[in-house]
Amino acid sequence: MAEVKSMFREVLPKQGQLSVEDITTMVLCKPKLLPLKSLSLEKLEKMQQAAQDTIRQQEMAEKEKQQITH
Amino acid sequence: MGSEMEPLLLAWSYFRRRKFQLCADLCTQMLEKSPYDQAAWILKARALTEMVYVDEIDVGQEGIAEMMLDENAIAQVPRPGTSLKLPGTNQTGGPSPAIRPITQAGRPITGFLRPGTQSGRPGTMEQAIRTPRTAYTARPITSSSGRFVRLGTASMLTSPDGPFINLSRLNLTKYAQKPKLAKALFEYIFHHENDVKTIHLEDVALCLGIDTVVLRNRNHIEIALDLAALSTEHSQYKDWWWKVQIGKCYYRLGMYREAEKQFKSALKQQEMVDTFLYLAKVYISLDQPVTALNLFKQGLDKFPGEVTLLCGIARIYEEMNNISSAAEYYKEVLKQDNTHVEAIACIGSNHFYSDQPEIALRFYRRLLQMGVYNCQLFNNLGLCCFYAQQYDMTLTSFERALALAENEEEAADVWYNLGHVAVGIGDMNLAHQCFRLALVNNNHHAEAYNNLAVLEMRKGHVEQARALLQSASSLAPHMYEPHFNFATVSDKIGDLQRSYIAAQKSEAAFPDHVDTQHLIKQLKQHFAML
Repeated sequence: MAEVKSMFREVLPKQGQLSVEDITTMVLCKPKLLPLKSLSLEKLEKMQQAAQDTIRQQEMAEKEKQQITH
Repeated sequence: MGSEMEPLLLAWSYFRRRKFQLCADLCTQMLEKSPYDQAAWILKARALTEMVYVDEIDVGQEGIAEMMLDENAIAQVPRPGTSLKLPGTNQTGGPSPAIRPITQAGRPITGFLRPGTQSGRPGTMEQAIRTPRTAYTARPITSSSGRFVRLGTASMLTSPDGPFINLSRLNLTKYAQKPKLAKALFEYIFHHENDVKTIHLEDVALCLGIDTVVLRNRNHIEIALDLAALSTEHSQYKDWWWKVQIGKCYYRLGMYREAEKQFKSALKQQEMVDTFLYLAKVYISLDQPVTALNLFKQGLDKFPGEVTLLCGIARIYEEMNNISSAAEYYKEVLKQDNTHVEAIACIGSNHFYSDQPEIALRFYRRLLQMGVYNCQLFNNLGLCCFYAQQYDMTLTSFERALALAENEEEAADVWYNLGHVAVGIGDMNLAHQCFRLALVNNNHHAEAYNNLAVLEMRKGHVEQARALLQSASSLAPHMYEPHFNFATVSDKIGDLQRSYIAAQKSEAAFPDHVDTQHLIKQLKQHFAML
C-alpha cells in the first residue's frame, strides 16, 4: 500500500489563479409530499360533497318543473 | 318469518351498527304511530346527530370573516416566538424554503391535513380572497360557519315534511328539567340543526359584507346555549358536562373569554382530557400559543402520556415553525400509540425534507401496512422511493396514486411530482409532458408553471418562459422561485429594471437566499455605474 501511496501526490499549483465562473441557474420548485387527510376532514368533505349534490339536484328538479309549466 | 322484531329494539340495533338512516326512518314510523314516544324520539335525535357528527375538537376552521375581523389577538405586534401569526420569526429556524416548500401562509408544508390546518392566516384581505386554490392548505372559506350551513341545508331538503324538531316552538325550560332528554336534544341542536335561510348568503356575503353570515348562523347555536344554560341551572351548577357545552357554544359564537371561564370552571369540578383540549383551542384562537402549551403540560401532569395532549403540543410547535420540537413530541406520541397516523406522516415528511428519504420511506411504508390506501400516500411513497434510489417501485407507486386520485387537483399534484422524477432521470420530454398534464388538471398550479418555464428556458424559448413565470408569480406570490427565475431571465436579456423588482420580491419571500442577494448586489452595481 505504501508504494501505491507514493505513486500519487497531490498537486498544488503555486502560480496563477484558480477561477470559477458562478453562473446563476434557474431554480425548480421542489417536489411536494402530499399531506394525508385526517378522518374528520375526510368526513367533512364527504358530507359537504353530498350536501352540494343534493342541493344541485333539488335546483335542477325545480328548473325542470319551471320549464314544463312554461 | 314468524313474529316481527320489536321496532324499538330493531331501531336500537340499527343505531349500534351505525346504520343511522335506517334507524331514523324506523323511529319516524314509530313516532307517527305514537307521537309522544320519548324513547323513539331520543333515538331519532341521536341517529340524526351521529350522521353529521364531527368531533368538535377537530373543528377549528377559520374563515375569512374570523381572520380579518379578528379582534381577539391580544398584541397586534407580538414578540417573536409568542404568536402563531408570524411563523418566520422563530429563532430556532425552521427548514429553509429552498428545501421544503411553504404554504401561502408562509409555513413549511405539513405532513397531515386537519380541518384547522386548512386556513392559515393570510395577512391582508386581498391575500385572503385570492389565495390560490392549489395549495389547499390555504383555502379561503367565506366563514367558518359556511360549511355547516350547507350541511344543514341539505339535511333540511331531504326531509320534505319539514324539520324533525321545530326549534322555535321548543319549550326549553321543560326539556331542561329532564337531564337525559336535554343532553340528546342539545347535541342534536348543536351538530345537526342549521338555519335554512342562509343557503346562498354565504356566496353573496363576500361582496356585500361578510359579517352577515356569521350573524345569521348564530341562531341555532344561541338556542343550544339557552338550553345548556337552563340545564346547568337545573343541575345547580354541579354538572361539568353542561359547563363544557356552554363553553363550546361560546366558542362557536366567537366569545372566547366567556368560553375560557366555562372551561376553567368545568376543569375545577372534574378534570377531563376533552376540557383541556377545548380550553387550548380557545387559547390558540386568542393567538396565545405559549399559554396553550403550558396548559397542555398541566394536562400531561394529570394524564401522563395522553396522546391527544402530546399531539396538541406537537401541532403548536409545528405551527410556530419549531420543527425540531414538534418532531420530538410526535415521537413521544408514537411511543404511546404506534399507529398514530398524524405522527407517522409528520415525522415521515420531516425526514424527507431533511434529506433522509430512505427513513421517510419506512414511515410511509408503515402507514401502508396499517391500511391507509389513498392517492396521497402512494404519491409520497413514489417520491421517497425515487429519492432513496429504489427505482423499481417508483413508477408503480405513481401509477397507483394516479388511479386513486379523487379529483383533478390531486391528479395534478401527482403529475407534478412525476415531472420531478422525469427531470431526475434526464428525460426532458417526459418532464415537459408531466408538467403540462399537471396544468391541464389544475390550471392554477403555480409550481408546475415555474418548472415548465425552467424547461422552456433550457430550450431557449425566452418569451414563453417569461410568460409562464409571470403567471406563476401572480398565482403564488409567496414562493420565491418564480420571482427569482424571472429576475434571472430578465437580467439575461437586459431588462434590468424588471429584474430588480422581481429580485426584491424574491428577497421578501426568502430573505436568506444567497443567489438573490448576489443578483441584487450585481444589479445595484449596474445602476450605480449609470
